[in-house]
Amino acid sequence: MSHRSSFLARLLGLTALCIVSACGDTNGPADNFDRQAMLRNYADNLIRPAYADLQTQADAMLAAVESFNSDPSSLTLGRLQTAWGGAYVVWQYANAYNFGPAGEEGLRKGLIEEIGTFPASELKIENAITAGAWNVQDFNRDARGFLAIEYLIFGKNQTFDEVIQAFIQNSNRRAYLAALAENLRERVAEITTAWNGTYRDEFVENDGTDVGSSTSALYNEFVRSYESIKNFKLGLPLGKRPGQTQAEPHLVEAYYSGTSLAALKLHFSAIENIWHGRAKNGSDGIGFREYLENVEGGPALIADTDTQLAALKAALAAVPTAPSLSEQIAAGNHPELDALYVEFSKMTRFFKSDMSSLLGIAITFSSGDGD
Amino acid sequence: MHIRKWLSGPVSIAPLVTLRVIVGAMLTFSTARFWALGWIEDHYLRPLFHFKYFGFEWVEPLPATGMYAVHALLILCSLCVMLGLFYRVAAAAQFLLFTYAELIDLTYYLNHYYFVSILCGLLILVPANRAYSLDVLRKPTIFQSKIPHWTIFIFQLQLGIVYFYAGIWKINHDWLVHALPLKIWIPANDQLPLVGGLFQQKITPYLFSWAGMLYDVTIVFWLSWARTRPWAYLTVIVFHTLTGLMFQIGVFPLVMVGATLIFFSEKWHERIWSRLSRFLKPGKSVPVVQTDSFGMANAVSRKTLGAAPRIIPHSSFLILFFLFQILFPWRYLLYPGNVFWTEEGYRFSWRVMLMEKAGTATFFVKDAKTGREGEVLNSEFLNAHQEKQMAMQPDMILQFAHFLKKHYAQRGMSDPAVRAEVYVTLNARPSKLLIDPNIDLTKLRDNWSHKTWITQ
Repeated sequence: MSHRSSFLARLLGLTALCIVSACGDTNGPADNFDRQAMLRNYADNLIRPAYADLQTQADAMLAAVESFNSDPSSLTLGRLQTAWGGAYVVWQYANAYNFGPAGEEGLRKGLIEEIGTFPASELKIENAITAGAWNVQDFNRDARGFLAIEYLIFGKNQTFDEVIQAFIQNSNRRAYLAALAENLRERVAEITTAWNGTYRDEFVENDGTDVGSSTSALYNEFVRSYESIKNFKLGLPLGKRPGQTQAEPHLVEAYYSGTSLAALKLHFSAIENIWHGRAKNGSDGIGFREYLENVEGGPALIADTDTQLAALKAALAAVPTAPSLSEQIAAGNHPELDALYVEFSKMTRFFKSDMSSLLGIAITFSSGDGD
Repeated sequence: MHIRKWLSGPVSIAPLVTLRVIVGAMLTFSTARFWALGWIEDHYLRPLFHFKYFGFEWVEPLPATGMYAVHALLILCSLCVMLGLFYRVAAAAQFLLFTYAELIDLTYYLNHYYFVSILCGLLILVPANRAYSLDVLRKPTIFQSKIPHWTIFIFQLQLGIVYFYAGIWKINHDWLVHALPLKIWIPANDQLPLVGGLFQQKITPYLFSWAGMLYDVTIVFWLSWARTRPWAYLTVIVFHTLTGLMFQIGVFPLVMVGATLIFFSEKWHERIWSRLSRFLKPGKSVPVVQTDSFGMANAVSRKTLGAAPRIIPHSSFLILFFLFQILFPWRYLLYPGNVFWTEEGYRFSWRVMLMEKAGTATFFVKDAKTGREGEVLNSEFLNAHQEKQMAMQPDMILQFAHFLKKHYAQRGMSDPAVRAEVYVTLNARPSKLLIDPNIDLTKLRDNWSHKTWITQ
């Protein structure tokens, strides 16, 4: 080795010494954050229980469809509507994990698109029934899933008896309903099976922060799910988009059952659980919040986020529980809903850009700038 | 004149041949990779809106067939450059095609793409096909074993500028005192094999920040000096492999590891080439490319060099070009405020991996007649990468606002006004407003002057 390169080595060593002595707190290992432990918590205490619940409810809904189809009556329809409601409640806790087995693959979109698209297309559904032909795998995602089933079993401006009569008089209607419930159950079963099989370990072990890592996938879906509440469940029906000339109350989620507000609240509480890494039963594990505690600038962001979460909860609580969301929007004067929209908007940057920046999570595939 | 004599003096063509082959091979590889990843579709065909480079607003993407043809031709030209076939035409086409593709959308700007563009441009000016090429095979009379020194020096100079500027921009408070943004990026990579444990140490970001700065500022000196060169090159490999593993920076590590070979001696390159040719044509003396006479100035080159010993072609262009290279990165001094925040004078200056910055930009479009204001869903028009880049760079925000005005005007809105609430976090600081959230962006035009609507 030459004099010059040993000089370089000495210079580097000296610099290191200077830094060590200048910044006393930099000695020793950092408070290491165990991403695998976080992923394990998400997998075992949030995601898998959510899919297990959804599976149970989807099975129950299919059973309710079958007994309704074999004997359409106010009793069986009532039971079916209850089963749908039960499934739709647990779906709110499972709708944010559209990656891995629930992600896009080929022509199949993520689970949220496959079974959670709204508003349902009344036209497409009625056309399929009239024609007696349908394909539950095609791109007509607004003619299947939870919200298409909801349209069929709650009906639009129909009495309970009118809904039952429509099914009694039309075997295609019964067959279509059965096909939708079966397809939903099947799709959920595939995902539940994968999570109970090898995917769980795969998810936990893929512990980087690059695109394709579990942290990145979970984070991106978390943000997308959060934004979907603001943009689609609230913003669009409220007429908040440019080009909309008025509110469009029929665009709410779960329009026919009138359960939009309850679903929205549950969805938000599921988002809050993901932020905390908290199971549905309330037991708090390692989540994004804990992850942030360990990174530069994290504590400040946690404080901002928690403050905004409290504001959001207050704004949610202020919204009257009756009448339904679409009726409130249609009535025209809804300061509580406008305030809620504002609070949702204020949170976006904390979840979206601040969090990904602080955690160093990659969000797109494109190359970054090199060094 | 001494310098001119040195610049026009004869040196072996071997280093230039190496560079030609590396650039051609690398561009072939990276273009094929770009294609295979489906990025032609994602980058150029799918987006409804493309962000323009200032002064290059006229550059538009072609329809699908055209974009695929551009990339196919680029691969073909790069292969020709690598093999030295129809060299000047191929090199010129390679430069034009690559640069065209880069100029389509500003959000894909990368310093290393800019660097590759420059490399390709400079390659047009030099006779890199005068040895070990199919052109020599076609026309043996063009063979030249010696070329003027400047043809190699311009590449060394360009690389020197890249490294040196990359280094001096690291001399800032956040980088050296707070080890930011490495304090964010290094722990995010602590699962890497071998180095993961090191990445969990608190001291590591500080060490890497200082080492990175010293490395960038001085590496060209170590590479230029024969005694330190092998060690310096070893650090080039280690440094770029490490950053390649840590960051999503595509082919950039390959570019630098390949290009820095230009600092190696003529002898080193000649040895590589004579070994390679013996390997390719074992037992033969390789008459086609006249490698047996390699290293000795033959009649042709002596004649060429003798005829015009002191005249450097393109010299005024080259002087202007390097003046631009040296001066343009300093333009940020003409703008008030922090260049990291305003990004006025940030690009085309070899500021690489210097900051962690991200934003959320919410656009509001207001109908002048009804007074109704709506909130834009960015993802309706932009892909995730475009949205991410746009949300922290004022000139892109302005472009998007003008696009929105046009879009909604076409859809019947009367004289739409567009404002944006943009919150940006820089190096882990709490996010704050980047621009005036109340100003109607459609009334503003981008130009060279300071953007007073950026929040300081």
